[in-house]
Amino acid sequence: MANSPEEIKKAVRTYIFVGLILFIGTGITVAVATFPPFDVGIHGFDKWDCILGLTIATIKATLVGAIFMHLNHEKKAVYWLFGSGICAVISLAGLTALAMGDPIFDKFFYSGH
Amino acid sequence: MEIPYIVTPRKDTGLFNSKIAIWLFLASEVMLFGGFFSAYVFLRLGADYPWPERTLPVLPGLINTFVLIGSSVTVVFAWASLKMRQWRRFQIFMGITVFCALIFMVLKGVEYNVKFHHQALRLKDYTVIEGHLGYEKDEHNKPVLNHHGKEVEENLIYVQTSKLTFNTVRFHKPWIEELLTQAEHHKSSIKLAADIKAVTKEGQPAEVIAKEGEPLSIELLNKIQGVHLEARKHNGAMRTAALRSEWKTAKTANPDKKGWQLASNVNIDAAALAPRLLDEVSSVAFNVDPATRFDFKPRDIKEGDGSSVLRDDTVVEGKLLESPMVFHAVDAIDFQHLAMKAVEKGVDPMVAIENSWLIKNNPFAKEAWEWNKVQVAKIEKELLEKYGVDKKTGKPKREPTAKERYRVGWQDFVSKANGVDRDDAEIGIKEQFMGPDYHGREDKHTFAELSVPREQVGFAAKFTPAWNTYYAIYFTITGLHGLHVIGGALVLAYYLFFGKKMYLTNPEWLANRVEIGGLFWHFVDLVWIFVFPILYLM
Repeated sequence: MANSPEEIKKAVRTYIFVGLILFIGTGITVAVATFPPFDVGIHGFDKWDCILGLTIATIKATLVGAIFMHLNHEKKAVYWLFGSGICAVISLAGLTALAMGDPIFDKFFYSGH
Repeated sequence: MEIPYIVTPRKDTGLFNSKIAIWLFLASEVMLFGGFFSAYVFLRLGADYPWPERTLPVLPGLINTFVLIGSSVTVVFAWASLKMRQWRRFQIFMGITVFCALIFMVLKGVEYNVKFHHQALRLKDYTVIEGHLGYEKDEHNKPVLNHHGKEVEENLIYVQTSKLTFNTVRFHKPWIEELLTQAEHHKSSIKLAADIKAVTKEGQPAEVIAKEGEPLSIELLNKIQGVHLEARKHNGAMRTAALRSEWKTAKTANPDKKGWQLASNVNIDAAALAPRLLDEVSSVAFNVDPATRFDFKPRDIKEGDGSSVLRDDTVVEGKLLESPMVFHAVDAIDFQHLAMKAVEKGVDPMVAIENSWLIKNNPFAKEAWEWNKVQVAKIEKELLEKYGVDKKTGKPKREPTAKERYRVGWQDFVSKANGVDRDDAEIGIKEQFMGPDYHGREDKHTFAELSVPREQVGFAAKFTPAWNTYYAIYFTITGLHGLHVIGGALVLAYYLFFGKKMYLTNPEWLANRVEIGGLFWHFVDLVWIFVFPILYLM
């Protein structure tokens, strides 16, 4: 993380650059969603629009995290803390996703066996 | 006491303490918002109605995204300014950040306000109508005001009431006041139907608590409620004592038996107890003379022919009058849900739509639907020319979306009124934020009036969490995010307005504090980066 005035001055340029990328990324996402010529996949909203939109959002979020929140050069403790939060979300959401395959009405019990 | 490690880092973690704290907090925040995003995914996958895709106005959401990204840049500049000991620059950048938060919340407030005033209605055949309701007018065509002095929407249930029976425990005071106001307006009276007699003291004869003909008042109901509750308390105590006594006797007689073995033999001697009990008055009936039209909000009443029930268990006896739901301006007709249900039943959606109540009974809707079919045909033609036909199936490779095919939105009504194709309507900036300008477009008859008979109403709500799970999760996520924006802005504003003293005494400490506040602010931005595409664009 930039600490000396020289380092900070240098980092400021990076912040502006990242800010511009975030603006452009947002513009692309909106263009793909609202202007038919930029639409990807089939006509209208589909999985490709979803994948593109979330990919751009993830890149933007990564840039905010890495540059603005200084995660690109943080101490190990921070990685452990933040990483554990993300892992918890993914694993808990994943556990819930397992239930998606559960039938609400189990045919076995309703078929007279 | 001096707080350790607020400027210099701890040796073991390499971080100053508040930084550890904020990252712990942010980790919990990731889990909180992650949970809501998971909920969104499951609600969307499990929705039993057409999920509203790209239904929110994009422009306010886009501006808010730019505003938050901009504020993320300025907050990091503010921190950098402090590191370089430039107080004035810090003030400017932090000021811009707080101002951005203000813009964000104002836009969010406008967005919410539009939703809270926008009416949605699902008919019993699953046609969805959106728009704005008219307001009740009296015989002189003046707006009717409720007891709060507010205009009343044309969405009331009318009952020609002859009798009201109140639950003496559950009666809702504001509704009683409303009934009294309405009765006064109609010059009718609400009077006790019969004497209320009750035994209020053990062993005494019944006494008259209230006489037939006494007018309805909160005080009278409170008095009867008091008698009822007192009797219930007394009777409860008597029954408990009698039961205890019975148990004691049974236990003494059968010391070797367990409680569950005795339970069937332990009963209160009701006949012996009866003379000692007081009279409970659980309900009280009033006559309305002459029978008067009382107006009720649909959410407050379960209407029935001859007898309706309010949510506080008040029974309203009388003839149910025609109570149409009147739209002053319909701004969308949506057959997506109806089409979905038709497909489930194996019916051609187009046939189902042609036979829907709306198309059969409203010429404007029929006209709009015919116009929409022409527009859909144009889209089909364009897609066919551009992408061609799939050789294997013989079907067009690209087809209009369900939304294009089955929904006539407000921009479509504008296009239709102006005689241009779908999506070619000229929409003003204000309309991009606030929705259609009804008054400005009134002369072109863009939006129709519509009266929907009550028996056709399936479900009605404003665009609030009550309408569907999409709006429930939308308000939950954006509301929670909005609270974070307010919280973060307050902290940053505190540094801006009250940080000078600390800057002069310990500038590095202030820089560290701003860094912590900034980390939270970036997280708020990071969440919005996902909220915007997921809720506004997908």
